[in-house]
Amino acid sequence: MGSDDSYNFVFKVVLIGESGVGKSNLLSRFTKNEFNHDSRTTIGVEFSTRTVQLDNYTIKAQIWDTAGLERYRAITSAYYRGAVGALLVYDISKHLTYESAERWLKELYDHADPHIVVMLVGNKRDLDTLRTVPMEEAKDFAEKKGLMYMETSALDSTNVEAAFNEVLTAIHTKVASREVTRGSISAVTLSNPIGPTSEAQEGRGGCCKSA
Amino acid sequence: MDDEVTVSDPSRYRESRRKRKSADIAQALGASPVDVAALRRMAISEGGLLTDEIRCRVWPRLLNVPLQVLDQEPETVERENNKDYNQVLLDVQRSLRRFPPGMPDEQREGLQEELIDIILRVLKRNSQLHYYQGYHDIVVTFLLVLGERLATALVEKLSTHHLRDFMDPTMDNTKHILNYLMPIIERVNPEVHDFMQQAEVGTVFALSWLITWFGHVLSDFRHVVRLYDFFLACHPLMPIYFAAVIVLYREEEVLECECDMAMVHHMLSQIPQDLPYETLISRAGDLFVQFPPSELAKEAASHDSMATSTFKDFDLASTQQRPDSVLRRRRRQRQAALESAAASSVVTVARPSAARRFVRLAVMGLTVALGAAALAVVNSALEWAPKLDLFP
Repeated sequence: MGSDDSYNFVFKVVLIGESGVGKSNLLSRFTKNEFNHDSRTTIGVEFSTRTVQLDNYTIKAQIWDTAGLERYRAITSAYYRGAVGALLVYDISKHLTYESAERWLKELYDHADPHIVVMLVGNKRDLDTLRTVPMEEAKDFAEKKGLMYMETSALDSTNVEAAFNEVLTAIHTKVASREVTRGSISAVTLSNPIGPTSEAQEGRGGCCKSA
Repeated sequence: MDDEVTVSDPSRYRESRRKRKSADIAQALGASPVDVAALRRMAISEGGLLTDEIRCRVWPRLLNVPLQVLDQEPETVERENNKDYNQVLLDVQRSLRRFPPGMPDEQREGLQEELIDIILRVLKRNSQLHYYQGYHDIVVTFLLVLGERLATALVEKLSTHHLRDFMDPTMDNTKHILNYLMPIIERVNPEVHDFMQQAEVGTVFALSWLITWFGHVLSDFRHVVRLYDFFLACHPLMPIYFAAVIVLYREEEVLECECDMAMVHHMLSQIPQDLPYETLISRAGDLFVQFPPSELAKEAASHDSMATSTFKDFDLASTQQRPDSVLRRRRRQRQAALESAAASSVVTVARPSAARRFVRLAVMGLTVALGAAALAVVNSALEWAPKLDLFP
């Protein structure tokens, strides 16, 4: 998929949060402009991509969707590796899904790059009448933790585009200020330029073919 | 695929074979005692158990569930204060696609309620079992074929046997079973194996295949139940052999893929819907005979990627039901004899000739059945031992 288009960078972004908060639909809304009322349970991990333009760069966003159920975390957390962005999603009508945000954050920082760009996302904004998580409360929490924050609705499309674009822009800004050149390929990470870097990679890279 | 038999009128030929098989199944069911070994062979061989009507009669036999459960009123389960209810509800509500298209909403909603009840009932009665997402994909298959009462009984049996490892508090055993995938692939096609290793793709793409017996990923219900025929008649590790066979079948696609974790993962997790199921089932059986779990476990134990070396095939069986050690030893001796016999007739895996496959399928039916017997899916291994002597 997408192997024919050209791009300057690949940004790996992960979608995390409790089961049923709408991660898969946020992803399909962003990458395919689709919403599925019968979105299947996500078992394991899967990803979709979308290419966006930021400044004069073509960015390929590779967005990984993960299973929300606790028992799957041992498997999904391995996929946080190399992520430069994350959307931590909760359901504004289910307070429990918000309460676990702190746990998810810890999980993320335990396995991902410490400089990862994280946005706290209150999804299902269309269910405002059933709201149990006040916007101010979530906003304060996000601020305290140094996270970006937005409320979205994958159902009616509100802010979905905006949320992803803000995250991608923030990553881009970080990347642009820390670019390093090594050998013949130019590779970028958010952390210090040591060790192998593949997180945000310029151009197409393949380890076996055409490398 | 290459299963087709060339005769003047293939459809008539198929129809007559179907009729014959149907009669054979009826005969095995009518025998006293019921010829479970024959039923197992039928479930594995081409076409499986043919119809849901036949499945209603044979599946309980394969798991040794008495039909008297049909007379029992299923117990009601408290939903309030049930630790699993919310998650089960969430997953069942999202399982619309598993019901036949065109089914009236009211009927579907009734079945969804039954689905929730079955799951909660089995979990409540077996506190050692833990719900996992995907379990509902298994249970819905049984519900649609068997109805609530039989489904409850079969799912309970399955959950304490074939699915037991998936229902641990953690995914450790599930991950361990996934670790069988690469050694199988390596034996058959080192090139594909090396490519996947280099891409660092891992095995998570096969997770949902394994723990739902492909129910989560195949859209045609007929394909799902055909696979269930096969898996119910076989060793609990057979689904991982089938997963390997799918990867191997897609050899060209794999090797043409960009050698990148994401790309290979994505390609492999999109399962083709038009797989040649009968051919793949037969290949999976062949691989099981050639590279039995015990052999792979040994090899894997010396391998770094295996987290633990303590895994034994028998751990898959429930802790309560195990054949005694004498029977186990006898089984191993038989299996060893069979495997050496099989090895001489099995030369290549990828492109078997029709004649050779015929031989191998016969061997496979026997060996696979032995695998199942060892796991005591039937009440006791004793019940199996004399029947095995009846094989040609």
